[in-house]
Amino acid sequence: MSGGNTGDGITEDGESRTQRLRFTADGWEYFRIWIVNVALTLLTLGIYSAWAKVRARRYLYGHIWLGDTAFDYTANPVAILRGRILVAFVAVALWFANLFSLWYYYAAIAVLAPLVPWVVIRARTFQLRNSRYRGIAFDFQGRFWDAAVWYPLMAVASFVTFGLAWPFRIFGRDRFLVAESRFGSKRFRFIGEAGPYYGVYIFVWVMTVVLFIGSCIVLVLPSLGSDPESPSPTAAWFLPVFAVLTGLFSFVYIRARLLSYRWSCTQLGDSDFVLQLSFGAMLWLYASNAALIVATFGLFTPFARIRVLRYVVDQFLVMQPLGEVTFEAGEAQRLGATGAEAAGEFGLEIGI
Amino acid sequence: MNGLPCRYYDGRTSTPREAEMTITADGNLIVAIDGIENREVHSLADVRIPHRIADTPRHVRLPGGASCEVRDNHALDAMQVRTESGRQPVGRRFERLLHRLDSTWRGAAAALAVTAAILLSFTKWGTPAVARLVVAATPPELEAVIGENLMTLFLQLDVLTPTEVDEGRQAEILRAFYEMKDDTGVEAAVLGFFSSARFGPNAFALPGGTVVITDELVELADNDEEIIAVLAHELGHVAGRHVLRRIAERSSMLVLWTAFTGDVSVAALSVLGPDQLLDQRYSRVAEREADRFAFEYLLGADISPTRLGELLRRLEGTHGAGGVPNWLASHQGADERARNAAEAAERAGGAEAIE
Repeated sequence: MSGGNTGDGITEDGESRTQRLRFTADGWEYFRIWIVNVALTLLTLGIYSAWAKVRARRYLYGHIWLGDTAFDYTANPVAILRGRILVAFVAVALWFANLFSLWYYYAAIAVLAPLVPWVVIRARTFQLRNSRYRGIAFDFQGRFWDAAVWYPLMAVASFVTFGLAWPFRIFGRDRFLVAESRFGSKRFRFIGEAGPYYGVYIFVWVMTVVLFIGSCIVLVLPSLGSDPESPSPTAAWFLPVFAVLTGLFSFVYIRARLLSYRWSCTQLGDSDFVLQLSFGAMLWLYASNAALIVATFGLFTPFARIRVLRYVVDQFLVMQPLGEVTFEAGEAQRLGATGAEAAGEFGLEIGI
Repeated sequence: MNGLPCRYYDGRTSTPREAEMTITADGNLIVAIDGIENREVHSLADVRIPHRIADTPRHVRLPGGASCEVRDNHALDAMQVRTESGRQPVGRRFERLLHRLDSTWRGAAAALAVTAAILLSFTKWGTPAVARLVVAATPPELEAVIGENLMTLFLQLDVLTPTEVDEGRQAEILRAFYEMKDDTGVEAAVLGFFSSARFGPNAFALPGGTVVITDELVELADNDEEIIAVLAHELGHVAGRHVLRRIAERSSMLVLWTAFTGDVSVAALSVLGPDQLLDQRYSRVAEREADRFAFEYLLGADISPTRLGELLRRLEGTHGAGGVPNWLASHQGADERARNAAEAAERAGGAEAIE
């Protein structure tokens, strides 16, 4: 690794070559940015939302530190606005097609489906190219057919196999997203395997069934006994409560385990990453966030975002700090934001 | 003039170099890298200085992919102000305003007040208006599909089970129902008899016009006039397309809160509270409308509106199994509605006396 000590104040003592990501954002500060964004977005009937997004992102990126440098988000709001207008246009067109005839609707879906892989790639590329660290941009070079396999096709395969192929799809998707990413001219590598993905999902499936049978025996059966004609009062609330609770548990469990695994299997140059998210801590974060968001009619939203980000970022370790990264000339190109908006969820949780 | 310390990145390697940045009065930006001898001069027109956000580092973009990272936001602001002569361009003034708003509590409070005012006024006046538009634009066929789906769900969950009311009695009630339909012109309405341990004595209208009356209610009623009164009330819901209106109100609230929180799932959580409040207001309005519809019909059919009140009083407090509240009686105090019924009867009585 060339230039382990880049002379800019990275403190390496030679022994421990581990760096921790640091998150320095403040909930109240972010709340102020958020509420001003919301007010302006409502006042401009949504047009300001593109600028609002960039402003919020820039605040968050600017508070994620690796060593003595923070990340930087450089997206152009106009590109995002253009993307949002296009998405809105497609949504309205679909709605109208649906109104006139279901056949128009299916025809429109058939026309749009081949665009899904393209949208995925554009979204990911837009996000990475606009994420910078030390003046070097990230990049994504996924190809159309790979995206086509992991996005629409494997999703259909999972459906046909009653979900059995789903963990494999998530594995392939993660490998695709990571291994095609670049930082400067360095490639990310993904050394994960499908096995652990199956482990996580099978654990969730088995636990759901076991918990369902167990709580049926403990809670519902005793209340059935006396009068088999009238439905038991427990049975009335049992199913919805069970569905909400297991939904939350499995969502958080899958997220904590797979995000940890995905990052721990990611390498960049000589650097390794370690992310160890605890299920208990994440469960507490998500459950308390949900309760507080309900209680405050949504005003807690910015604090919730900061709490989750702080926990995840603070758990993040970089083994072997990044050395000097170079960037081959001529790689930077302008790319519109359409994909990013159509598929905003495909962004990495943290901007690396 | 002293330069502003910054870190220079050439955009090709990740190695920073210590540098100093100066903006000159004639509109140039000078970056002195590693001392004075290595200088870059750019016209300010080619340089992009990003907006200030709280106190995060700012990356001044130079032509050709290089950038200068500035930590001292205050000094950079001051430097920009010093070199600006005369009026600031609109973009700069807006940027200053933004920073003043979201870096001070007064600004945030103003934004909060604006947001609350928009959300409240939309909830108060916007949602009913949007709901009216949606109801007017929704073809009855689509409304019927929603009702059918609900009915299928009820049947699959065994919430509604086949009726045990004997056919003669059903025919009597149906006859009265058809008469009512003809008189009021609510063509879409259909009456269904079901038994329901879950709902108990109850009656409700589904979107599309299906009115359900439970065996338990038929049993509870003292006379046919009470049943007719309840059916007239439900017909009022069908005529007002109340369930559809409620669904439309709900969806428009969700859309608004998605704009507010920026995320559909967060919006679904945060709209729970406002939705409950709205639900109470809405059901009060809808019940009153349906009652008024019923009173009018009952008076025309020579039945005293107090029949509805009598049944409601008896219904109050009855619940289906599993704590399902009785919609028919619970929305608004049964007492108040019974009083309204009595008043309606009195007014009508007075009118007759004058005639």
